[in-house]
Amino acid sequence: MIVAAAVWTFGAVALLATVLMIFQRSPVKAALLMLAALLSTAGLYLALSAQLLAALQIILYAGAIMILFVVALTALPAAWRDRPAPASFRRVLGLAAAAVILGELLKAAGPLKALTVDAPFSETGALGLARQLFGPFVLQFELLSLVILASIVGAVALTSRRRGNV
Amino acid sequence: MNKFHLAALAFALFATAAAGFLTCGGLVRMLMFLELMLNAANVAFVALGPAEPSRAYAALLLAVAAAEAGVGLALILALAQVFKTAEAANIKELKG
Repeated sequence: MIVAAAVWTFGAVALLATVLMIFQRSPVKAALLMLAALLSTAGLYLALSAQLLAALQIILYAGAIMILFVVALTALPAAWRDRPAPASFRRVLGLAAAAVILGELLKAAGPLKALTVDAPFSETGALGLARQLFGPFVLQFELLSLVILASIVGAVALTSRRRGNV
Repeated sequence: MNKFHLAALAFALFATAAAGFLTCGGLVRMLMFLELMLNAANVAFVALGPAEPSRAYAALLLAVAAAEAGVGLALILALAQVFKTAEAANIKELKG
């Protein structure tokens, strides 16, 4: 019962923060709302008994990625962030497309109504996750290290060429 | 609470982020909504999948999101330097 209440509360906070982010004009306030959405998602993971993922979510998303976004926002000169009011037909079109996506997803998820959530809450440690990552998922895990290496090289190459031009 | 409710929650998060992505014009903000869409996919993994493999997938997806944010922000900074704007609507030429 309390787990269900936690799931709904954290889910509602994340949803509300995302909706408010759409209508927020100031980019820094939008970044703070995104932080709220990410932190409440961490709470959602806790309620779904994925404690390690909640910690990773706070460290990686709410820590590292958010800092990256705020630094990028401060690195961009304010004059380049001129926000012309988007054409209203484009806004309506975007909202309609999102509504269609939601409707189709919900329609496709219909058969899930028969499945009840089994274990209400359990304590899971890092060991189970490590057994998965170094067992069946070891190839994906190693490939991911190459992806991260490529992204580091790409980011350095893109930004250092920019500095060379100036 | 059945699995459909959890799926509906993850889908609502995804659709809201997609709506933000489609309606906003700023490049940094579009990347933020992209991250939130990935985050919603992660919620669906954790909520719906079998316990341990889905958590492993979610951990892998966290690393993918971090890599994507790094490259995406570097691309945006490089683009903004060339075009002197950070609005998607003002970038119209392919050859800068």
